[in-house]
Amino acid sequence: MSNTIVFDNVSKFYGDVLGVNRVNLSIPPGITSLVGPNGSGKTTLMNLMTGLIRPSRGQIRILDMTPDQPEQLFRTVGYCSQFDSFPKGLTGYQFIYSYLLLFGYDPPLANELAWQAIDRVGLREAAHRKCGSYSKGMRQRIRLAQSLAHNPRVLILDEPLNGLDPLVRAETIALFRSFAKQGCHVLLSSHVLHEVDIISDQVILLSGGYVVAEGNIQGVRSEIEDHPMQILIRCDRPSVLASRLFGEDNVVEVRIHDDRRGLLVKTSNPNRFYLLMNRIALDGISIESVAPIDDDVNSVYGYLIGTEEAVR
Amino acid sequence: MRPLWWTQILAVIRLEMKKTFFARRGLWIYLLALAPVALFLAHSLVEIHLRGVRHEMATQSRPITEQDLAAIHEGMTREEVIARLGDPPASRITMRRMPTGPHGFELIPGEVLRYSDGSTELTVVLEKGAVVGTGTTSGSSLGQDTHIFAGVFQFFFIRLAIFFGCLGIFMNLFRGEMLDKSLHFYLLTPVRREILLAGKYLAGLLAATVIFTVSTALQLTAMLLQFDTATISHYLYQEHGISQIVAYLGVTVLACIGYGSIFLAAGLLFRNPIFPAVLVLIWEAANPLLPSLLKKFSVIYYLKSLCPVEIPVDPGMPPLLALLVSNAEPVSAYIAVFGLIALSVAVLAASMTRVRQLEINYTAD
Ligand SMILES: Nc1ncnc2c1ncn2[C@@H]1O[C@H](COP(=O)(O)OP(=O)(O)O)[C@@H](O)[C@H]1O
Ligand SMILES: [Mg+2]
Repeated sequence: MSNTIVFDNVSKFYGDVLGVNRVNLSIPPGITSLVGPNGSGKTTLMNLMTGLIRPSRGQIRILDMTPDQPEQLFRTVGYCSQFDSFPKGLTGYQFIYSYLLLFGYDPPLANELAWQAIDRVGLREAAHRKCGSYSKGMRQRIRLAQSLAHNPRVLILDEPLNGLDPLVRAETIALFRSFAKQGCHVLLSSHVLHEVDIISDQVILLSGGYVVAEGNIQGVRSEIEDHPMQILIRCDRPSVLASRLFGEDNVVEVRIHDDRRGLLVKTSNPNRFYLLMNRIALDGISIESVAPIDDDVNSVYGYLIGTEEAVR
Repeated sequence: MRPLWWTQILAVIRLEMKKTFFARRGLWIYLLALAPVALFLAHSLVEIHLRGVRHEMATQSRPITEQDLAAIHEGMTREEVIARLGDPPASRITMRRMPTGPHGFELIPGEVLRYSDGSTELTVVLEKGAVVGTGTTSGSSLGQDTHIFAGVFQFFFIRLAIFFGCLGIFMNLFRGEMLDKSLHFYLLTPVRREILLAGKYLAGLLAATVIFTVSTALQLTAMLLQFDTATISHYLYQEHGISQIVAYLGVTVLACIGYGSIFLAAGLLFRNPIFPAVLVLIWEAANPLLPSLLKKFSVIYYLKSLCPVEIPVDPGMPPLLALLVSNAEPVSAYIAVFGLIALSVAVLAASMTRVRQLEINYTAD
């Protein structure tokens, strides 16, 4: 039995709009990240893999299964999509439990699996509240729990780190790693290369519906490290945080945002900077969000990919 | 051991139930189902009240027989009426303006006397001391009421209440989840899409049949409420009442099966419910005008033949209405049931091929 996910000359057009074009991939187990700016085709590839949409051309095989056989595929695959929506009126627990019953598990087993999944994302306390009342980060986590409750060997996650605060983000990454260690496929997408490069065994770079680079990220990473990256931090006491950051050697520039509710930081080593932010979050400064500034991400791609199109 | 597909269907029904029965969006379906119940209940209560009034009148006058009532005719004097029937238990003085020329008029004094033998009421109209008109009423009979029921059932209940109720329930099975962006959760489980469709259909059918058969049963109960047990048992056991009730309940279930399958399919094909609703409504209404072959692709065609009581065609009816009422091509009950189920199965089979092709596309609208 094959242990890879294969895209064989796959194209998807939405009417006249290009989703992805002539994609050829062979993805081994481990953590693989699909990275590309918004609209580059990450979600399209993931939806194609899971049969939510059908390719206009080409074929996809997931460990020897095709996406149009859900009855087999989803015994092995779990997909956490990017749609931030829920079936109406269900609590977090009911959400996971009800859909587990569709697998044919008997109720005690479904109950057990549901609680296991809820514990994995640390939502036990909130499990009996309606999903609709959850914060964005909690919604993200309960959807993650739902997608991995049946212990899939292939886990597909569309922008799973989006909207998570640094602490939860670290926990979530640890979860992905534990899956990968067991020989599973973990496919995740991100529009921020720095967010995923250190955790990925393999990176697939997408731009405008094409795969522009694929493979081990080590080679390109050193190049990016020399290229300063601009990050916007939203927090309650920007000046306190600014003075804390000034001493760090990977911080090139710190500016308080015009609205005085955030900081603009340029860093030469985003990986170290993210680790630093995790530590600072533990020190008691309340940090709302840490996000690279989009234009800047695109310029990194321009640098990385070397095309004018990606810069725009 | 239960087979997997059945376990999965039950799990789908479990998830759908809340939405099909208790959706806030679906409150109007209950109102639609209860409207005819309210109608028959009101009718029965009014009749019971009037019967009480007649009974009361009979006790307030001297005993009167049917022959006494029949003996009153135009031209009799007030005294002759009183001599035959006694003092009226109810009466009122009237005054009528009668024009005598372009500008003048004459006031004509009159009186209305009401009598009852306990079941029939006689109204005697007097002017200038003489009878100028009589009228009798004896309330509605069960026979008449079953005809009214047949009309309401065919023209309101099946064609409008169940039609739009099924539209509301079944159109939303897929469409509602596309709008809520939650359909993908189903498609990401190891459930064949055909089984998902079957589960959703059964969940809708469960809700529709419960709501509408309960409504039919309540309507029949409300209709029979005003009659005494002797009349009712005569109707039930001597006039095929039981088989009529069974037929009405059966037609209700079949209507849900038929319209359910059609609106489930429509919900897969259309985003906007208005368009298919109007299309199917026109198609069903135009059924009598269609050529014989096309007629068979319609739900109402079969239901009409299964309705137990024919609606009487009045000679005075407008021709179009008479056409709607008449059942020009009745088919036997077996063929009607078989035809309707075959039609529904065909529509569901077509929906199944469609649901296999279904792509998640929440954004485009
Ligand atoms: N349902 C759709 N209809 C039309 N175009 C779409 C649809 N979904 C995606 N696209 C287009 O396909 C391209 C790739 O989109 P997507 O896969 O969502 O990118 P990403 O997830 O990387 O942001 C974009 O140009 C987008 O506009
Ligand atoms: Mg996306």
